[in-house]
Amino acid sequence: MRSLLLQIAAVTTINLKSIPRRVLLSLSTVVAIALVVMVLLAFLAMANGFQRTIAGSGSDDIGIVLRGGSQAEINSTVTREQVRLVEDGPGIARGGDGKPLVSPELYLVVDGIKHTTKTKANLPLRGIGEQGFALRKGITITAGRMFNRGSNEIVVGKGLAREFDGFDIGSTVAFGTTRWTVVGTFEADGSVFESEIWADLPVVQSLFNRNNIFQTVRVRLAEPATLDELKGYNDNDPRMKLDVKSEAAYFADQSSQTTDLIQKLGWPLAIAMAFGALAGALNTMYSSVAARATEIATLRAIGFGGFSAFVGTLTESLLLATMGGAIGAVLTYAIFDGLSASTLGGNFTQVVFNFRLSPALVGQGVLLALIVGLVGGLFPALRAARMPIVAGLYA
Amino acid sequence: MNALTLVRKNLFRRKLRAILMIVSILIAFLIFGVLAGVYASFTAGEDRAAADRLVVVNKVNFTQPLPMAYYNRVRSVTGVRQVTHANWFGGYYQDPRNFLIVMAVEPETYTDVFSRDFDFGPEARQAFIRTRTGALVGEAMARKWGWKLGDRVPIASNIFSQRNGSHTWDFDIVGIFTGKTQQSDTNLMFFQYDYFDETRSFGKDTIGWLVLQTANPAENDRISKAIDAMFVNSTAETATDTEKAFNKAFAAQFGNIALIVVLVVGAAFVTILMIVGNTMALTVRERTREIGVLKTLGFTGGRILRLVLGESVLLSLLGGLPGLALAALATAALRPSVSNLLPGFALTVDIVAEAIVLMLALGLVTGLIPALNAMRLQIATALGRG
Repeated sequence: MRSLLLQIAAVTTINLKSIPRRVLLSLSTVVAIALVVMVLLAFLAMANGFQRTIAGSGSDDIGIVLRGGSQAEINSTVTREQVRLVEDGPGIARGGDGKPLVSPELYLVVDGIKHTTKTKANLPLRGIGEQGFALRKGITITAGRMFNRGSNEIVVGKGLAREFDGFDIGSTVAFGTTRWTVVGTFEADGSVFESEIWADLPVVQSLFNRNNIFQTVRVRLAEPATLDELKGYNDNDPRMKLDVKSEAAYFADQSSQTTDLIQKLGWPLAIAMAFGALAGALNTMYSSVAARATEIATLRAIGFGGFSAFVGTLTESLLLATMGGAIGAVLTYAIFDGLSASTLGGNFTQVVFNFRLSPALVGQGVLLALIVGLVGGLFPALRAARMPIVAGLYA
Repeated sequence: MNALTLVRKNLFRRKLRAILMIVSILIAFLIFGVLAGVYASFTAGEDRAAADRLVVVNKVNFTQPLPMAYYNRVRSVTGVRQVTHANWFGGYYQDPRNFLIVMAVEPETYTDVFSRDFDFGPEARQAFIRTRTGALVGEAMARKWGWKLGDRVPIASNIFSQRNGSHTWDFDIVGIFTGKTQQSDTNLMFFQYDYFDETRSFGKDTIGWLVLQTANPAENDRISKAIDAMFVNSTAETATDTEKAFNKAFAAQFGNIALIVVLVVGAAFVTILMIVGNTMALTVRERTREIGVLKTLGFTGGRILRLVLGESVLLSLLGGLPGLALAALATAALRPSVSNLLPGFALTVDIVAEAIVLMLALGLVTGLIPALNAMRLQIATALGRG
């Protein structure tokens, strides 16, 4: 047993030390595998970042009420009567003054100019009720101040201010004929709200001719479980017939489509590229075995076993793959992690998000690299182990 | 033995190595073909846009409505040949997840303005104009849901309600239309604006956007400015743009798809350039002695150069062409399931042409250095080596 281990150690050392002789071919395998891992991880980091932004936006103890079947805030309409009915509903927490914690909101799409492309993009302008801020977690004004009730002032999310032109504090923004002053920027725990513009609900309603029209109602639930009471109340009143969901569930639905799409693009691309890299790895390792034919045969002739030749070749392949995987992961982290981007979300408006690479994703990337290394080394390693001694010596 | 036979024999001397390289090239071109199709789908709106079509939307954003009265006012602008209007319906069939592209349009003018994109058929067009509850359904949508001419289909809206509170409208399919070009996607449906406007519970007398045809594209700019000036300082100011610019800006909202495609295709090509380039170099090095023999037999340097380049180009074509064919199959297979997200997803003639140019370029680039080395090889060195 000990001699077998020594044999393996010796042959592996010889294998690895001979890599410099095939430096270009080995390098091409490393680069190929690194690129495969980069493509995979960049897509997964994009999907992960987007998913975290959207899915991280919802709370379990916030209920969101929309028109039945509308699926997204932008499509929904809720009448004043329905808002009142929701306010009277069960299961809703109350503030110190005994009033229910409810925010009827209006969600409009306005044009903004995307910083990177200078093209028009859809931005959400949200008119929020008095309780609007209190119904979202982690909202802090990071610069400037909150808008004054009744005035045409807006506060903008940090992500939106970063990705779109003209939202510096103090500047005036025109949406059609209406003019608004930017008075503050806010943070919202990296959630989708950071991609929004907020203003006072009655002002938005009046300036956009939407008097008495609302799109959604957010309510703070007494506790997450009271959502069912509110649902039951809604289902039993023919005047309502609204969709009542937890905000967490609403945003989970919103993120799933885009996230799925990115992942569905990323994995097949990476797997296809992995096959290309596999062809390269096999090529490199077969060349390695061919180049060392005499050496392997000599070792066999002096008593080394076929198994040590097998392990040596496989180790070389796995080492190249590991290097490729590691380089790919490090480069993806350096280039893409934290990268800010925006795309059209489920509400037909821009969602600003950051690419996020997580250890679990890196694990998937390295695993793919190792699979390429394993398969790419296995067949050449078998050839090395089975090589007839005489043929090798004359090679 | 002619040159081609020699090239082929050389290439397949080491069968396994040749096959592995062919596989890696094949995959690169498969990726190229599919991604170029995805990219073409994103820019299809731009490519398909007619030079003489302008789009008028609300200046706040194209999702904001315009007053119905604008339809006739725009019509009166000199140089406007035809105007039509449309309204997004937010349609779905049975379940909100079965999202459909449905628009309420002015039947007569819409089918006129878009007659270059779709083949509506004269009879179906007349039936659509006459039938209040009539709908024209694109071939792809009809096939997807198994709808036939004469069917009555209930289509729900995730935005609008009827005055009786229902979210669902019944449409009678009076025509199934086809696309006139490979890029005109037919996964969509049109129905009469009048029927929509009379029955909906809110938003009466508003429209989504106007599309107009100018008599002379050279006047587009003047007409755009005239229209926007007409509504300046009104409650609904307009933004008029060419259809091409509008579609381009819309596609850009999804993100920099072009950059993503270029990066991924670039990564795939760098990979094969390295693998194939190195392997070609290795192959030619292994044949040093043989090249010396060929030169001794009187093969000129130029001929050797052509033999090696021929080998790398042949290799590139042997991998690239089947890769492209696979991409065509994959595109055709994926097309129905991605039609909502990627309308007009197709492997176009342009993509095929680009791919073939890339194959030739790849062959020449990977073969160039080994070929030059082989050409310059001195007989004495070649025969003396090894």
